Amino acid sequence: MSSGIVEMHLKLLFDLDNLLNDIDEPKYKKIGFKVEQEEKQSLLRTRKALLKKLPRDMADVYERLKERYQRAIAPVDNGFCFGCFQKLPTELLTQTKGMITCPNCGRILYWRKKQ
Amino acid sequence: MNLASLLSKDRIILSLKPGKKEKVIEDLVYAIKKGTDAELIVSTLLKREELGSTGIGKGIAIPHCRSLAVDKLEIAVGRTTKPMKFNAIDKKPVSLIFLIIAPPQDPGNQYLITLGKIVQIAKVMAKKKLISKPNTPDEFITLINQVEKDLKKRN
Repeated sequence: MSSGIVEMHLKLLFDLDNLLNDIDEPKYKKIGFKVEQEEKQSLLRTRKALLKKLPRDMADVYERLKERYQRAIAPVDNGFCFGCFQKLPTELLTQTKGMITCPNCGRILYWRKKQ
Repeated sequence: MNLASLLSKDRIILSLKPGKKEKVIEDLVYAIKKGTDAELIVSTLLKREELGSTGIGKGIAIPHCRSLAVDKLEIAVGRTTKPMKFNAIDKKPVSLIFLIIAPPQDPGNQYLITLGKIVQIAKVMAKKKLISKPNTPDEFITLINQVEKDLKKRN
């Protein structure tokens, strides 16, 4: 599987996990968006399927980080990890291949595309 | 933060072509992002729709999600030239769509606050039959500003 597809699956998994967190928020329910248990179960099945599409080591790291921090991926902004707000080493910022994790908190790092 | 300040003219499409829900969501997302970022957002929004339509009734839909693809709250608005099917909770067609995308990290949970605000404002617009009034994006922003001010006075 190409790294682009893996990255897309990983990002979608992360977005779905955020969705799952939000629908359980009391504030969200108060706004008036109600999600039935059946639909939530279906989303959990999609999540499981996405996880299976990731390389095993990546899926394990993701799940472990999610368990620890709730959000396993942290965007990089201005050379900082937006998970732990620590400055990242310069050599890391030039690395382009593979899954890159923050040396301080361990979260998977994500560089947003500039548009 | 008021809602009008989060709107930008180039993301308000007042002559949106009605069609399949997926296509209309895609058109609005492309007003915000392009390429693989847009694809990711569309996928997440459609997954959210599978949980239950974000058509809140009275001709309004508010598709929403958080996505890694954005670093701040992004909003696009579409008003369709004809009402379209959106599987809304009241089963009625939809003509006004507020699309909202938030970053995963969101200090103060601005996302849910804004989402709640949009629901309130959109309901007032529907009740007072204001949805079809604005002719330009500028007029639309002015109207939102006015409705928001009125709501603030009332609360």
